[in-house]
Amino acid sequence: MNPEFIESNAGVRSQGGIKWQQPQSFFIENDHHLQNMFTSGINIVKPDPGMDDSWAGLDAGAYGYQLGCGDHMFLHGNLTSVSVSPRKRKADKGQTLQVVSEKEKKIKRCSDGDSKITRQNSSNNNSNSNNSSKDKSKVSKVQKPDYIHVRARRGQATDSHSLAERVRREKISDRMKFLQDLVPGCNKITGKAGMLDEIINYVQSLQKQVEFLSMKLATVNPELDFNIDNAFTREMFESSTSEFPALACSSTNSAYFDQLNSLDQVVSYSGLDMGINSSEMGLRRSISAPVSVPEAFMDSSCFNQIQPTATWDADLQNLYKVEFEQGTLIPFQSHQFTGSNEASNLKMET
Amino acid sequence: MHTSSKLTKEFTKKWVKGLQICCSSKKNMDVLERKKKIKLCADIALASAKNATTSWSIALISEAKKEGENEILVDNLLGPESPFKQQKTIPLMSACHKRVRSKKILKRSCSVGQRMKKMGPPKSNLAIYIAKTLVKKRTQVLQRLVPGGESMDEFSLIKEALDYILSLRVQVDVMRSLAHAAEVSNQSDPNVFG
Repeated sequence: MNPEFIESNAGVRSQGGIKWQQPQSFFIENDHHLQNMFTSGINIVKPDPGMDDSWAGLDAGAYGYQLGCGDHMFLHGNLTSVSVSPRKRKADKGQTLQVVSEKEKKIKRCSDGDSKITRQNSSNNNSNSNNSSKDKSKVSKVQKPDYIHVRARRGQATDSHSLAERVRREKISDRMKFLQDLVPGCNKITGKAGMLDEIINYVQSLQKQVEFLSMKLATVNPELDFNIDNAFTREMFESSTSEFPALACSSTNSAYFDQLNSLDQVVSYSGLDMGINSSEMGLRRSISAPVSVPEAFMDSSCFNQIQPTATWDADLQNLYKVEFEQGTLIPFQSHQFTGSNEASNLKMET
Repeated sequence: MHTSSKLTKEFTKKWVKGLQICCSSKKNMDVLERKKKIKLCADIALASAKNATTSWSIALISEAKKEGENEILVDNLLGPESPFKQQKTIPLMSACHKRVRSKKILKRSCSVGQRMKKMGPPKSNLAIYIAKTLVKKRTQVLQRLVPGGESMDEFSLIKEALDYILSLRVQVDVMRSLAHAAEVSNQSDPNVFG
């Protein structure tokens, strides 16, 4: 069977390689053989010692054959056929496919020095399956039973080029997987173009958000004076944790008055001028009246007064947590302080 | 996300510093100017927080440096690293451009021949052709979006885009919290002060 097979392949080649119809059915049965031929042909250095005799014979013959094969369409046709075939012939010839995969594994183990080639071999299949799935998802063309036609990629320069391209594609697909985790809502999309689409949309939306937020900041502050002491911002960063303690805001009143008391220290610490002190005194007077402090009130008023201290109170942190629950996204407190700081400064100056 | 919190800290520090420099130089800017300054500071801070590890940050900074007035700001923000960056960028970008250009010419010459041959078995190749052009178009768009993306091949473009997305997220979060805090304090103050 093997010699016949090889001859028919040669016959196909001699036709110019374009017309695939003739050996089509033949290929469908035997493309796993072709796959092995291909892999073994590429694995020039060592023939697989673990192979059966039949395979070995086939490889020996295939090797000579492959060397003479200048028509790489043949090559790629094989690849495509095999890659698609797993899906098609799951029930039928699972065994042969297992043999193929086993063989690839053996190749991997054997020729460690030729890591590139073996990787390419495996990546060939992977990228092929990726690509074929891509084609399926992205293009509405139905993959016909004569799947050899699917990707008869003609005119690719040499073996090394195509293999390098396969490697490159595998790398790209790895990155795409990582991107899927990063970009929200990308889990269902498998095709490269679709993924790129999502990435583009996400980057654009983020950039627009930056624009919008900078505009908002520009309008909020009549002057760009962020009078923030670098020293204490750094301290804030150091002392703040990325994860907040569980919110226990029951002790609202005590927390509230604690902060009022801590204001004096904070004011002196942050180096604000006396004008702010008077404003804070005013705040204190007005705020001290209500005993039960609802959360909203705490949000709006407390953060005016709250200045970061060198030592974080657990109560302070609880308050911030309340703020976050109200609306902010991230566990990042410092900016609220900086914002309140600058706002209070503004009020003083204007 | 340990790295992102670190990045956040770096970014906010540098941004605040940049804004201070900005506002000390000029007073009485109109809204658009302010917005531009804020955004510029944010971008530069983000890029410098990366410490020239990624090429998009390098590209961003070199772009910002092109305008004369920003140079002082940029230099101040970057600190001692900036001269190295400048030396690195120019040869890097030109080499990249040359490489990309020669690649494009080669591709074009190859693809013309390929396209002629491809008309043989039409359907399958048409599918591939369509898929490829789709991907190509999108990569072009992405190249335009990511700073410094024009001189990158596809693989590194995706890597850069990944990194850029992460940093953009950090930037957006920081700016949003600041804006929110400012808004909150603005709302409350008039109520209290009458």
